[in-house]
Amino acid sequence: MIGVIVGVTLRQVGRQRRMLVLLVLALVPVLISILYRFTADNSSERDAIEFASGMLATFVVPIVLPLAALLVGTSALGQDIEEGTIAYLLAKPLARWKVVVAKMLSAWLLTYLVTLVAVLGSGLIVLTGHEGISLVPAFVVACAAGALAYVAIFIALSLRFSRALIIGLGYVFVWEAIISQFIAGVRFLSIRAYTVGIADALTDVDAEILTRSLDVTPAIVLLVLLVALGGWYATRAVTRFQISERV
Amino acid sequence: MTTRPTDETSSIYDLGYRSYEGVRLGRRYAVLALYRESLRAAFGLGRSTAAKIAPAILIGIALFPALIQLILGAILPIGEIELVRHDDYYSGIKFVMALYVGVVAPDIVGRDQRTRSLTLYFTRAITRYDYALGKLAAMTTAMLAITLVPQLLLFVGNALATDQFGDFIRENWDELPPIFGSALLGSWLIAAIGTLIAAQTPQRAFATVGIIVAFILPIPIAAILVEQIDAGWADYAVYLSPLDLVDGLTYWLFGTAPPASDSLIALTDFSTATFAGVAVVVALAASALLVRRYIRVQA
Repeated sequence: MIGVIVGVTLRQVGRQRRMLVLLVLALVPVLISILYRFTADNSSERDAIEFASGMLATFVVPIVLPLAALLVGTSALGQDIEEGTIAYLLAKPLARWKVVVAKMLSAWLLTYLVTLVAVLGSGLIVLTGHEGISLVPAFVVACAAGALAYVAIFIALSLRFSRALIIGLGYVFVWEAIISQFIAGVRFLSIRAYTVGIADALTDVDAEILTRSLDVTPAIVLLVLLVALGGWYATRAVTRFQISERV
Repeated sequence: MTTRPTDETSSIYDLGYRSYEGVRLGRRYAVLALYRESLRAAFGLGRSTAAKIAPAILIGIALFPALIQLILGAILPIGEIELVRHDDYYSGIKFVMALYVGVVAPDIVGRDQRTRSLTLYFTRAITRYDYALGKLAAMTTAMLAITLVPQLLLFVGNALATDQFGDFIRENWDELPPIFGSALLGSWLIAAIGTLIAAQTPQRAFATVGIIVAFILPIPIAAILVEQIDAGWADYAVYLSPLDLVDGLTYWLFGTAPPASDSLIALTDFSTATFAGVAVVVALAASALLVRRYIRVQA
């Protein structure tokens, strides 16, 4: 049954125009990387590594990943609530946590797909034939973890607030982007820092932009906690959801 | 032919409709009313507390550095302190500006499409030009709360810090034209782009995301293209980013050079005057497109 819900959600969200917009967004770093590869063909190893790590750590992880997770995550269950179709979903003889797991899984798949286009596209184009190629698998794994965490909290938010999209934007662009610049401790509560921290641990490339982030152990522990918390809250909210005639 | 009904079975009822006999205030008054109400909506005035929170927080963040300087300047007797400067104030609150216009613009222009009340506006003395320009003026004025107000606070703060309040104003009055000029031009540019995007969709969330992405996304794109790609043409990418345009025109108006170390504008070797030129062109184009949008929109 989980598989069925995943399939339905993938079709429901995946066919919307926002997926197209997100794919265009994911293609931006790929295009810039192509430009870089063509214009800087005599560049040193160091330059290519710096460019790729900068592209991944300051563009893909802080912008493409959270925006994809935000647009997909808030609509995976939020849209059902908005349109009232959640009644049909919850009326099935199915444990509510399974509904949450299915929705999270499908939102994660779509988010990860978009992010993967950006990571693989920009990483492989810039680094193929260079030393720092281990950056690519590192970010492939780290983005999988980051996408799961973002999706978990955005689904939980969409169950609590009708303006989850705005609140999520505030989290991504105020908390993670602005406040983290001034207060170093914010990195303990920032999925972006977890993601970069995990990527840093998985690669032997030592780029300055990566080592500034969180250590890998707290990153993984906090990330798992956050996913568990998001899943728990979403399950609780869905369990208590009143199926009533809300128009 | 049907027969005419006789007088006994039919009659015209007086439903009591009355014609309006008061003063008709005309087009100018209608535009001013539109402007005033739109401006109030920007700050959530006359609406629920929830609508006031986001603009208030963002204005607070935007004013914060200037306020700190004002307070320190008034309390500490150490003469000139310079935590923040006039010419790079906007580059410090870039993200706040993007979020602010993202939150406020859909409130100013999207609401009437969402509630389908555009028809009602256009049946009144207001024309479509008036409507578009009135909304743009309201958004520009709303932007001044996070552009002009902090700059003026900063000016007053600097004056307080010197003990000789009057002397400071006399000596530094020539900073006022660039303060007003950069605030007005920057606000117009940001407001024009913001309202243009917000006018495309009645859905608030999409408008907000679209505006924020349109302002924030070009910043890293321009930075990467300028810094990492050696070809000379890549430098022109800096003009793609509206908030970098605001930065550049501010340096130009204040007559200062951007810091060579960490400013994208310094890296490009373009004269800062060109940023002001591009900003005016972009703002004009966005305003024209906004008017065009309202001339064509179904209402």
